[in-house]
Amino acid sequence: MPIDFELSAEQKELQELARRFARDVMAPRAAAADHSGEFPEDVYREAWKLGLMNLNVATEYGGSGLGELDQCLITEELAAACGGMTTSISANCLALQPINIAGTSEQKERFLKPFCSDYHLASFALTEPGGGSDVAGMKTTIRREGDEYVVNGEKVFITNAPHASLYTLFATLDPALRHKGITALVVPRNTPGITPGKDEDKMGHRASSTSSLTFENVRVPVANRLGAEGEGFKIAMNTLDSTRTPIGALATGIARAALDHAAKYSLQRTSFGKPIAEHQAIAIKLADMVQKVDAARLLVWRSAWLADQGKPVPLESSIAKCFASDIAMEVCNEAIQVFGGYGYMREYPVEKLLRDAKLTQIYEGSNEIQRLVIAKELLKRVA
Amino acid sequence: MDILVCVKQVPDPETKLRVSPSGKTFDSDGVKFTINNTYDEATVEEALRMKEEFGFSALRVISVGPARAEEALRSALAMGADEAVLIETPRDMPLDPLLVARYLAAAATDIPHDLIMVGRQAQDDEAGAVGSALGEYLGLPSYSFVTELTPVPANHLLKMKRYVEGGEEVFSAPFPAVLSILKGSKDPRTPTLPNILKARKKPLKKIPVMDLEAKVANLPGGTRPTSETLAFTLPPPRAGAKMIEFQTPEEAADRLLKVLKEEAKVL
Repeated sequence: MPIDFELSAEQKELQELARRFARDVMAPRAAAADHSGEFPEDVYREAWKLGLMNLNVATEYGGSGLGELDQCLITEELAAACGGMTTSISANCLALQPINIAGTSEQKERFLKPFCSDYHLASFALTEPGGGSDVAGMKTTIRREGDEYVVNGEKVFITNAPHASLYTLFATLDPALRHKGITALVVPRNTPGITPGKDEDKMGHRASSTSSLTFENVRVPVANRLGAEGEGFKIAMNTLDSTRTPIGALATGIARAALDHAAKYSLQRTSFGKPIAEHQAIAIKLADMVQKVDAARLLVWRSAWLADQGKPVPLESSIAKCFASDIAMEVCNEAIQVFGGYGYMREYPVEKLLRDAKLTQIYEGSNEIQRLVIAKELLKRVA
Repeated sequence: MDILVCVKQVPDPETKLRVSPSGKTFDSDGVKFTINNTYDEATVEEALRMKEEFGFSALRVISVGPARAEEALRSALAMGADEAVLIETPRDMPLDPLLVARYLAAAATDIPHDLIMVGRQAQDDEAGAVGSALGEYLGLPSYSFVTELTPVPANHLLKMKRYVEGGEEVFSAPFPAVLSILKGSKDPRTPTLPNILKARKKPLKKIPVMDLEAKVANLPGGTRPTSETLAFTLPPPRAGAKMIEFQTPEEAADRLLKVLKEEAKVL
């Protein structure tokens, strides 16, 4: 049997755990956190207690060592309740992945274990004011002085930055070296010279916290370097390769929530004497929405499944992320249309979903970059 | 000292049930089953407390049901139970509470138990009969609707609280015994992700229902259900709400009172 879409009993249990947490803990707080922009850290602590954070940390360091498909199943469930909270909950997976990929066992012991024995947040510090897509053009520099590196520069749009205790930082030995100069460092928050900026006032993902990070003569031991000097670019790309598919799952979760709200509403709301679901104009919208959500989920599952088989997935993960986030926008947009004027009101849940969906087209590799990757891989195959 | 907890997998309360073509049960096709009955979750939690606070050694869980009932047992293992036993029935085998109790009794004779605990009832058929019947078949005393449990293991005594109409009763009784638990003293813990993964590695023994038939045949009632379901119907659809229009709160109250007295006749 070459293809099997049935989840294992264990995967169903993980999914059920995430679904319950999403329904009972996240969903009741989602609207209020979205309105106020608060950072509901008690929700994140609860997620940590249940083991829903740090999913990708290996069992020998106290984590669950889940594969990508398992991570995607959990992420979709969480995102169906709140995209912003899910971004903050899964930010540790992104931030710790460079250590998983390139850390020595001593570094893993030192940096990963505390995340599994206690609640901590970590941030992945890559993007700079000059741009996120042009990683090789970064300006944050490191200079070696004895057993230390001295870091200077600024990072922006860093998820959880003001609340994190650890940063995985990418900086360059010399901007002229482009990607060959980039080096990855693990930097504890309490190192002198680090200043998080103000919490950004965002359009969506408002339960997540995002800020800049300024590094001013920050001294980091050489022992905190991941891989060799100049290997940072590769480490960052490998990290993003493995977290791209879960972003597709996150977008799928948002889209699924929009579809679910729209379908239920269409049965309750009547016009011209019958539920609007019985008007073809609405029924056809719902049919289009469900096709998109299903297709997105299948692309996510395929990419995750391939990754779990140890196969490289640059093409498949880009397709999954790009497609799922694009359809999330379309599905949320149509969900608002199904709700009509009510959908435009903040009292109803669907406009938030559209705002949350928007970010999934931008972060962790903009969809423009994804399309370039997809086209390049395609042309490689036909050339 | 060992505890045996009986659990049942039930349909998700949010799932839509349809009557099966026979008209005597619900159609399990397409029904989503929850991992566990809520009363059973409370019972597993209480049993874990017995282990953690009163030195009971092993906690085993047992269920009678089709292959999918393994999910309920795995969930109890993820909460912290040590071992599980599934008495596996063919899918749609006719069962009634007394027959379930006979199978549990037949299996329990080979499983160490100083205390048997069951949820007061399953949230699907709400029969609430398995606990007392199990006590009867095993020749053990049974106590129902227990809300608080303090064992004195050295004397093989249980101090219990139970709901009685309008109040509660405190009493003590010896064990081994069968208890049906109304609610635990703590909210049931949610299995954590690492514990779900660990539960996969805990022992789960499957006993085909046929293997117990000889023993069950020797119990009063034998291998056939004691009761027969004659018909199974869904509740009638709810009538729509009636909106009362008003200008002032006083007017609203007057009109509501009138409707309650004259139309609904509840006052």
